[in-house]
Amino acid sequence: MLRPLLASAVLVAAVTTLPGPGWGHGDELRDQPPPAKADFTPPTPGSYALLPIMRAPSGPVVDLEGRSRRLVEFTTGKITLLSFVYTRCSDAWGCPLAYRVFDAVGAAVERAPGLRSHVRLVTLSFDPRHDTPAVMRQYAGDQASRGIDWQFLTTRSERVLVPLLDGFGQDVRVVPGDRPGESIRLTHVLKVFLIDPRGVVREIYSTAYLYPEVVLADIETLRLEATSGEKATAVRTGDRVGR
Amino acid sequence: MGPRLTRSTCTFWPIRALLIAVLVATPLAALADETCNSPYMANLIKNQEDYVYVWTLGVKGVGDGWDKLVTIDANPTSPRYGKVIHKVSVGGRGEAHHMGFTDDRRFLWAGGLDDSRIFVFDVGTDPAKPKLVKRITDMPKKTGYVGPHTFYALPGRMLVQGLSNTKDKGGTTGIALYSNKGDLITTYAMPTTDGGDGYGYDIAINPQKNVMLTSSFTGWNNYMTDLGKVVQNPEAMKRFGNTMVVWDLKAMKPQKVLAVPGAPLEIRWSLKEGDNWAITAAALTSKLWLVRADASGQWQAKEVGTIGDPSKIPLPVDISIRNDGTGLWVNTFMDGKTRYFDLTNPEQPRQTYEKATGKQVNMISQSWDGTRVYISSSLLANWDKSGADNEQFVRAFKWDGKELTPTFEVDFIKEHLGRAHHMKFGTKAMKSAYRGALASAR
Repeated sequence: MLRPLLASAVLVAAVTTLPGPGWGHGDELRDQPPPAKADFTPPTPGSYALLPIMRAPSGPVVDLEGRSRRLVEFTTGKITLLSFVYTRCSDAWGCPLAYRVFDAVGAAVERAPGLRSHVRLVTLSFDPRHDTPAVMRQYAGDQASRGIDWQFLTTRSERVLVPLLDGFGQDVRVVPGDRPGESIRLTHVLKVFLIDPRGVVREIYSTAYLYPEVVLADIETLRLEATSGEKATAVRTGDRVGR
Repeated sequence: MGPRLTRSTCTFWPIRALLIAVLVATPLAALADETCNSPYMANLIKNQEDYVYVWTLGVKGVGDGWDKLVTIDANPTSPRYGKVIHKVSVGGRGEAHHMGFTDDRRFLWAGGLDDSRIFVFDVGTDPAKPKLVKRITDMPKKTGYVGPHTFYALPGRMLVQGLSNTKDKGGTTGIALYSNKGDLITTYAMPTTDGGDGYGYDIAINPQKNVMLTSSFTGWNNYMTDLGKVVQNPEAMKRFGNTMVVWDLKAMKPQKVLAVPGAPLEIRWSLKEGDNWAITAAALTSKLWLVRADASGQWQAKEVGTIGDPSKIPLPVDISIRNDGTGLWVNTFMDGKTRYFDLTNPEQPRQTYEKATGKQVNMISQSWDGTRVYISSSLLANWDKSGADNEQFVRAFKWDGKELTPTFEVDFIKEHLGRAHHMKFGTKAMKSAYRGALASAR
C-alpha cells in the first residue's frame, strides 16, 4: 500500500532557468524498466461498465510541426488515452511513468490489428514555455513514426492552457525551487484520461491504478461497446505489457 | 462473476440490553487523520500541518447557530497558533458530520446527515480561508439515498457513502459517485442478498488488490432519534449493521459479505509496503476486527482484540492508524478515553497506553509522523452527553511514544461555534495554484 501514497503525494520536476535534469528524450524513457504489473487480474473486458464522467474540454493546441490545432481533433473519433506531462519531470512515478505506460499500451495496440486504427495516444505538455514543438519532438523520439497514433502536443501559453487544465481537473501547482539555480518547481498529480470516440472521459487513472493491462482491458471494453456483439480483439495478456 | 456472497447471522439483542442498562449514547465516528485519506489523494501533508479544518454542527443559540467549517491555526510557529482564524457558515443546521478531500486536495466536500446536503469548499485558492463554492442539494432526489457520510476520492471523482434512504429512512442505502465538478455519475446499492444487510458507513480502497471495503452502521430513523428511545425500542436495535463488504473495485460489484457484528465503522488499510490488511472497530461490541486474504486468496474478517471492557460499553467511535501500520489510536466516546494499541502483530493488537482526554471524545486525527494528535468531542446533536459532560472542543496533543501532552485547546462553546466534529488538515503549500503563479514567477 505504500507505493501509491508515496507516488501520488507529490510529483515534482525542476523548472528552472538552468538546464533541468529531467528525462527529456523519449528514447531514454523507453529504455527504462516497464511499468509494474497489477497485483490482480483485471475484469474481463465488457463485463463491467465505464460510465461517462465528463466531456473532454477543447482549446487551442500546437502539434509537433508547430501548427495550431484544436484539442478536440485529438479527443474524438477514436478511443483516446491522454496525459498531461512536462518533459523535465524527473519523478519516476510521474510523467516518466505515464510515458512508459503509454509505450506499453502502444506496443500492445500495435500488435492488435483490430485495435490499431481505433486507438490514439495523446501526450500534452503543461509547460508551454519550455516544451516547445522542438522540445516535444525530442521528447517523442521515434514514437510519432511508429505504427500507432501517438500525438505529442503543447500549447502556446499558460493563458490557453489553464482552461484545458481546469476542464480536465488536472491540478498543477507552482512551488519554490529547493535546488541550486532552481527558481520554481511544478507539482501535479499524474492523471491519465481514457476518452471514448465521442469525446467523453470514461476513466481517469492516477499512479495508484495505472497498469497497462487495466488500461488495455478498459480500451477493449470501449471497443466492445462500440461494436456490440463483436468478439474481443485478441489482445492477450502476454501482449499487454512491455515492448 | 465474483464468488458467492456469504451470509451474516448476527443480531444485536445482547447489545441492546447493555445499552439500555447504561442509557447512554452510541457512536458515530469519522474518517479523520492524515493516514486515512484515499490512496488516490495527492499532496499528503508529511511535515507540519498549518491548519485543522473542523466541520462543526450548529447549535441553536450558539453563535449564528449554523453548521460551519472552522479553521484553526495549527502551526506552532504562527502567532495565531491554536486560535480560530476563519469560519464559513453554510446557512443551515443539517447535522454536519464528515468531510473528504478531492484527489488533488484542492476541494473539501462536507455533508449533513439530516438534510443530506453536500457542501464543497475551495481549500486550494487560500487554504487559510476556505470558501464555499458549491452546494449539492438534490442527492436524495437523484439517488434515493440519505445521509451523505463518507467522502472518498477517486481520480477525478468522489464516492459518497449514504447511511439511509428516502423510502423508509432505514439503513438500506448505497454509494453515490460524483464527478469532482459535482455531477452525479451513478449509484451503487449496498448488497441486500447473500448475507448483505444493505447498510453503509465507511469506504476504504486498496488499489493494488483491486479491493474496496465498506462497513455498516444504521439509518436516519436511528441516528436522528434520541438514543434513549432507540435503545428501548427492540425493533430499532435490530437495525444496525453487522457486515462489511468486499467489492471488486474496477467493476464496482460486491464480491463477498463478511460477518462483522456490532456496527463496524472506520476502516483503515495498513500503509506499510507489502501489507494487505485492514482493521476496523465494531462500535457496539467494542471489538477490533482484521480483514485480510487467507492462503487461498479469499478475504476474511477475524476478531482480533477487545477495546476496554465491552460490558461497560466504552463505544469505540474512531480509529487512527500509524503510517507504518504498527499502531492504532482508538477513541471511546462514553469513557472519554484515548487508547493506543500496538499493531506490530495485527492478529494480536495489544493496548499499551490510555488517557482520559475529555468527558466525551469522538474523532482522533494524527499527523503523518504520528507526533501530533487532535481530538474532537461531538458525535451527533442528539447523541452527545448533556450538562457539564457536554464539552465541545478540539484538543491538540504532542505524542512522544509514551505520553500525550496537551498543546492547545479550542472551546467550541466559548468561541460561539457549536459541536466540534470531523477534522482534516490543511497546508499553506496548497495555495500555489498554477493560474497566474507560473507566469508571475518567471
